[in-house]
Amino acid sequence: MLLDPDSNLAKRLNPVLFLLPAMAIYLVFAIYPTISVVEYSFTDWDGINPKREYIGLANYERLFTDKIFWEAFRNTFVWSGVVIVINVGLGLVIAAMLARVWKARLIIQTAIVLPVVISPMAVATIWRWMYQPKGVVNQVLEAIGLGALKTPWLGSPDAVLYALAFAHSWSTIGLSVIIFLAGLQAVDEDLYDAARVDGATPVQSFRYVTLPALRPVTAVVFILTLTQSFKVFDIVWATTQGGPIRFSEILSTYMYKRGALENDYGYGAAIGVALLVIVSLATIIYMRIQHREEQ
Amino acid sequence: MRNKLLVGAVALALPAIAASPALAQTEVVVWVGGEPGQTTVYETIANQFNEENPDVELTVVTNTSDIFNPALVPALSAGEGPDVFTFGTGPGQPAALIAGGLVADLTDAYYEHNWSEMIPEGIIVQTSSDGKLWSYGNEVETTGMFYNKAIFAEHGLSVPTTWAEMEATVATLQSAGYETPIGLGGADKWPVSHWQSMMFGRYAGPAGIEEVLFGDGAWTDEAFVKASAQLQKMGQDGWFGPSPVAIGYGELMDSFWAGEIPMTFTGPWVVGGGIAAAGDRISDYSVFAVPPFEDGQKIHPTNSIGSGWYIRANSEHQDIAIAYINRMFLDLKGRVTLLNNGVVPVGPLDEALSEASMPQLSVDIWKSADDHAANGSVPAFLDTITPGTLTTVSYDGLQALLLDVMTPEEFTSAMQEAWSEAKAAGEIMLPGGLAAR
Repeated sequence: MLLDPDSNLAKRLNPVLFLLPAMAIYLVFAIYPTISVVEYSFTDWDGINPKREYIGLANYERLFTDKIFWEAFRNTFVWSGVVIVINVGLGLVIAAMLARVWKARLIIQTAIVLPVVISPMAVATIWRWMYQPKGVVNQVLEAIGLGALKTPWLGSPDAVLYALAFAHSWSTIGLSVIIFLAGLQAVDEDLYDAARVDGATPVQSFRYVTLPALRPVTAVVFILTLTQSFKVFDIVWATTQGGPIRFSEILSTYMYKRGALENDYGYGAAIGVALLVIVSLATIIYMRIQHREEQ
Repeated sequence: MRNKLLVGAVALALPAIAASPALAQTEVVVWVGGEPGQTTVYETIANQFNEENPDVELTVVTNTSDIFNPALVPALSAGEGPDVFTFGTGPGQPAALIAGGLVADLTDAYYEHNWSEMIPEGIIVQTSSDGKLWSYGNEVETTGMFYNKAIFAEHGLSVPTTWAEMEATVATLQSAGYETPIGLGGADKWPVSHWQSMMFGRYAGPAGIEEVLFGDGAWTDEAFVKASAQLQKMGQDGWFGPSPVAIGYGELMDSFWAGEIPMTFTGPWVVGGGIAAAGDRISDYSVFAVPPFEDGQKIHPTNSIGSGWYIRANSEHQDIAIAYINRMFLDLKGRVTLLNNGVVPVGPLDEALSEASMPQLSVDIWKSADDHAANGSVPAFLDTITPGTLTTVSYDGLQALLLDVMTPEEFTSAMQEAWSEAKAAGEIMLPGGLAAR
């Protein structure tokens, strides 16, 4: 029996039916694994033995006394700070400059966005090569008279985290620029004309026109960058595996080591849940900002 | 007309369907872990096996060691995964797989196929527990100091046989402008553990290592502290270059084969890649045993089985998996293929060696080990026979030693702590041996 497409029931059912395939995929590949991870975090499962004992909050108690977890936690925050400064701060400046450039704009825009579509493993390989002691980065520093800044980037406890965060930013900043550019196109040109008539310099126009107009977009980019940077794994794993020692250890690499390499899946799952809570909090903030913007 | 077209189409399709090998073939999945170049020979033998057995299709999947186990364990736990695969051997890594009932008992195959003629008792001990055999310990591995003879000749150097000569060799190379006399590849962590295994073995001797692995010895014993201190000193003196933990193994080997680094401590698995990279210049390279670190110390060759070949407990193709193992390690053609690729299978080699043409560099490395075989050998890869937690602590600790942010005492204490925890949790395998039949 077919429903009359104009009936009230059909109108109510149609959206649900269209959503069903996507919801089914989401349930199987996102919700179910997430619930499983939460469940594992309350067990001592080694990832191998089918038997697993429920140990309550023991894994979470371990988190509080695990020095390496807190090192990884701190490194993750430092990482996110660096990436936010570059992707949000520099991304905004680049977008504002691009918005005023007409000649070769497409070429510059493509050059900035291109790394976004490169596979993270390829990005890691490129930067692993560039950061070698005799690699391109040190050669360029030498050539421009900044030889004193040369360092073995991936082997230096002081530099490695920042170096990798920079490489991550290089591969993701293009997305921020695109979002900022879209936001800039919505800014009324009359506002700039009015500022110019009032004698505002380009910097003042940026400070008093562009920045306030882009505030909601900036919030979106900020939250997106934050969540992305907390989830990062590939570039660190493929370059240093969290080393040297633990100086580039972040939560995701530590979770992988404890869970998958050391067969301590229960504890690895607890680290994963901690990461999930942090990322979820950031996402909630993002959604609230978006909701406020819609209203 | 339509019927004629249909008949024509079916007639055209039938030969294609009949010729399709996939229809009647049994697919058997093989997973091999290891570095690029190290695993190629197993694909070669699988291809030979497929040609000889048209009803079977062995599919070999290779992966590097850092992502191999994390992919393997969930696959096996899910009751799926490869029918036959490589994995670490005792006393550390396979204990959980065995306890979880994920691997097949190979004891019957051992007796049925006379594996005892090929597998020495020493390897049975590492691959069995509770009187059962769990894996076929495949190839013998060793490590040695690979060096560039052309660079040595250019600077009037000969192979050092004492530690004083070794120090002089490094000093000469440093003065000649080689800021990295010995390449390390420490960014990848595991290459440093080759040094650790060799040096722990030199200072503690085979009995000292056995005492920790299977007895009441501790990693904090003086021999291990001294070995760690020596490794740290070599790092401090610039033997591994100004930034030994900044360069990965791949980059190191590229530089070594390009003639930019005079020496590196590694194993026979690099030979295939070296021949490809260096071409005719491969004859510039040879291998020597690192001299004793102090007076009275003996050279103990490093000797390990690379890994063991396991069969999934619930595989429906265990007979084919065993046939593939036999084809690799018992069959003369398989053994010759292995030798030709620089891989030395366990067991008597006379017959296979008479037909094989091993690369000279492989011959050199085995000769450097055989020359000191009477002193007793030590494990080449402690990191593959100890539990994962200890491996992580060792890898990080070795980098910390080289960066001078950890003392040898702190390093060995951290190792012992991880070892004790693993022992208490029953994560190590006890020495094996098969129940007599």
